Amino acid sequence: MVNYFIRRFLLIIPTFLGCTLLVFCILQFTPGGPLERALQQAQQQSHGGEGGGTASGIGGGNTEISEEAKAELKRYYNLDKPIPMRYILWLGNLMKGDFGQSSVYGDPAFEVITSRFPISLYYGLIGFVLSYLVCIPLGILKAIKHGSPFDIGSSALVFIGYSVPGWALGALLLSTMAANWHWFPLGNFHSDNWDQLSFGEQAWDLLDHSILPLICYMIGGFATLTILMKNSLLENLGQDYVRTAFAKGLTERRVIFGHAMRNSLIPIATGIGSILSIVLTGSVLIETVFNIDGFGYLSYRSAVERDYTVVMGILVFTVVLRLLGNILSDFAYAVIDPRIRFD
Amino acid sequence: MSEDTTAAGSSGNPGPIAGPTAELPAGKPTDRPVSLLRKRLRKFKSLKRGYYSFLLLLALYIISFAFPILINNKPMVVRYNGEFYFPVLAFHNGETFGQKGEQAEANYTKLRQEFDRPGNPNWMIMPLYPWDPYHVDYEDGGSFPLEPSSRHILGTDDTGRDIFSRMAYGFNVSVSFAILLTVLEYILGTIIGGVMAFFGGKLDLIGQRVVEVWSTIPFLYTVIIVSSILVPNFMVLIFVITLFNWVGTSYYMRGEFYREKGKDYVAAAIALGATNRQIMFKHILPNSLTPLIAFLPFTIVGNIQSLVALDFLGFGLPAPTPSWGQMLEVGLKNIDKTWLIATPLGAMFVTLLLITFIGEAVREAFDPRVFSRLR
Repeated sequence: MVNYFIRRFLLIIPTFLGCTLLVFCILQFTPGGPLERALQQAQQQSHGGEGGGTASGIGGGNTEISEEAKAELKRYYNLDKPIPMRYILWLGNLMKGDFGQSSVYGDPAFEVITSRFPISLYYGLIGFVLSYLVCIPLGILKAIKHGSPFDIGSSALVFIGYSVPGWALGALLLSTMAANWHWFPLGNFHSDNWDQLSFGEQAWDLLDHSILPLICYMIGGFATLTILMKNSLLENLGQDYVRTAFAKGLTERRVIFGHAMRNSLIPIATGIGSILSIVLTGSVLIETVFNIDGFGYLSYRSAVERDYTVVMGILVFTVVLRLLGNILSDFAYAVIDPRIRFD
Repeated sequence: MSEDTTAAGSSGNPGPIAGPTAELPAGKPTDRPVSLLRKRLRKFKSLKRGYYSFLLLLALYIISFAFPILINNKPMVVRYNGEFYFPVLAFHNGETFGQKGEQAEANYTKLRQEFDRPGNPNWMIMPLYPWDPYHVDYEDGGSFPLEPSSRHILGTDDTGRDIFSRMAYGFNVSVSFAILLTVLEYILGTIIGGVMAFFGGKLDLIGQRVVEVWSTIPFLYTVIIVSSILVPNFMVLIFVITLFNWVGTSYYMRGEFYREKGKDYVAAAIALGATNRQIMFKHILPNSLTPLIAFLPFTIVGNIQSLVALDFLGFGLPAPTPSWGQMLEVGLKNIDKTWLIATPLGAMFVTLLLITFIGEAVREAFDPRVFSRLR
């Protein structure tokens, strides 16, 4: 068992290398990278420096950047070296904790990325806890009352939840409740005058901004989680040990909550591993819809703006969290269910 | 979940889920044998909600191929000076209908006004809904986006294109896209997963590492990056997404192939001298398709959602293509115009709901779980 998990941890390394190498190579072939950006900026500056150059600039006759400057820029971005060499350089810097400089924000990529964590953490954690708080009791109730009007009625909700992606519903909520009825603010993490608010007002402001996005976060896993819980409990209720428990005269309550429940939570609990990536990587789509400047939105913007250092930095975080999450899931599985043996 | 646990699950304990083998037909010798597939289809038909959803969706999808005739701004039939023309099917320049010097497509709006004058013997039959998804309605004179009215029943978007028309054409695009994508990723995933499990050994070991790398790459992120190199059109986008989506299928099929390849019928086939390819595709594959089929509608749901998300972010189908994601994006830009968002969302909701109903019934028919309960 210990050996198994040691092996799993060691396997993170090749997977991580393969993953980053692949994306790194793809990025090298993407047009509009940092070199182009720098060249463009330099061109604009030299163009502005000419001062009087008005109409002549349009014809393309404006000063091109000298070959030497170009070569120097290339050297600066390591583009004069072959791709494997560039990757090794990037990896070496990463090992030293240097993620590189963001070409859009001008700050170190590491800081740009980690500054987004609290926002995504806030939504991820609350959304995660809320959806478990809603879905598990609902799933249990549906299983106990299987076939009843309550079960059928709530199934309608589940179907609706499954058929509407949370972020798309978010757009509708934003349009109706925020833009037209003015019940909620129009997106963003908090108001612009955040700094001037008192603590109580800040808390209220944050809550006011959070309600709609949190609804969307919850809808994401609502259907799957509820049905998983329901089916898992139903399956256990048909098992022989439940029959035995009934036969020895236990009340229904004790049978369900003392015996069947514990076993039926196993598949739910293994989802715990995904908490790592859900909580920290956020949802690109929900953050985009609500204009929340979190990790997901940053990853989208950095890909659009070809901010390669940030793209790679985000990849590093995502991949590591995802791999650790997988191991955590298996570990949780093994801890909760002693029948599971990894050998 | 990682591949290691699936392997442990498939080789060790049989697990709580009853596999397809659990409900093989008992086959009384006097009865005519009913094939398993037919039994399942019969069961599917008996689940009314799913079956009717299937019929409705199928009908809608077939009709959606006739949209160029039904929803278009060109007339279906023109009767001009004793001749019949079919502008929906063929190109006619303006001069055909006496619009002088017009080498481009005839202006049918003007032509109609002309025909409507009293005493004009010519006539035309317009489609049921006379707007195509690309036509910008300058004639209305209002400022875009136009509100729903009798002219545009669901309004227009911010460039003046009819929303109902775009929504309808978007249905065809979304469903076609999702079906094609699902089929391709199933084929690729089955081949890769099947080969890894069937040959096992080093191939499987290395293959599993590659699959792990592949599955760890964030999908949306990579598609965004790749889309900026290749200019995506319908087929390119399907190709790119297939490249990343086959992984889930390969897990399934690897597990299934592992389970099946130890069974007696495979040993029998080997003893009879069947080739590897025959064993894999003629013997094992039909026996391991059940979970794939049971999951097919849900994969389609996921793929429609992926397309909508990509279109919404601007990395999906190229610009004028009518797509729900692009419509949502326009809606978000004009956030107070609720009809811009409600239409694509409603269309997506109805479509996905129908497919989910179908999926429930398919799963029930192909992979039934009987919940017995005391009291």
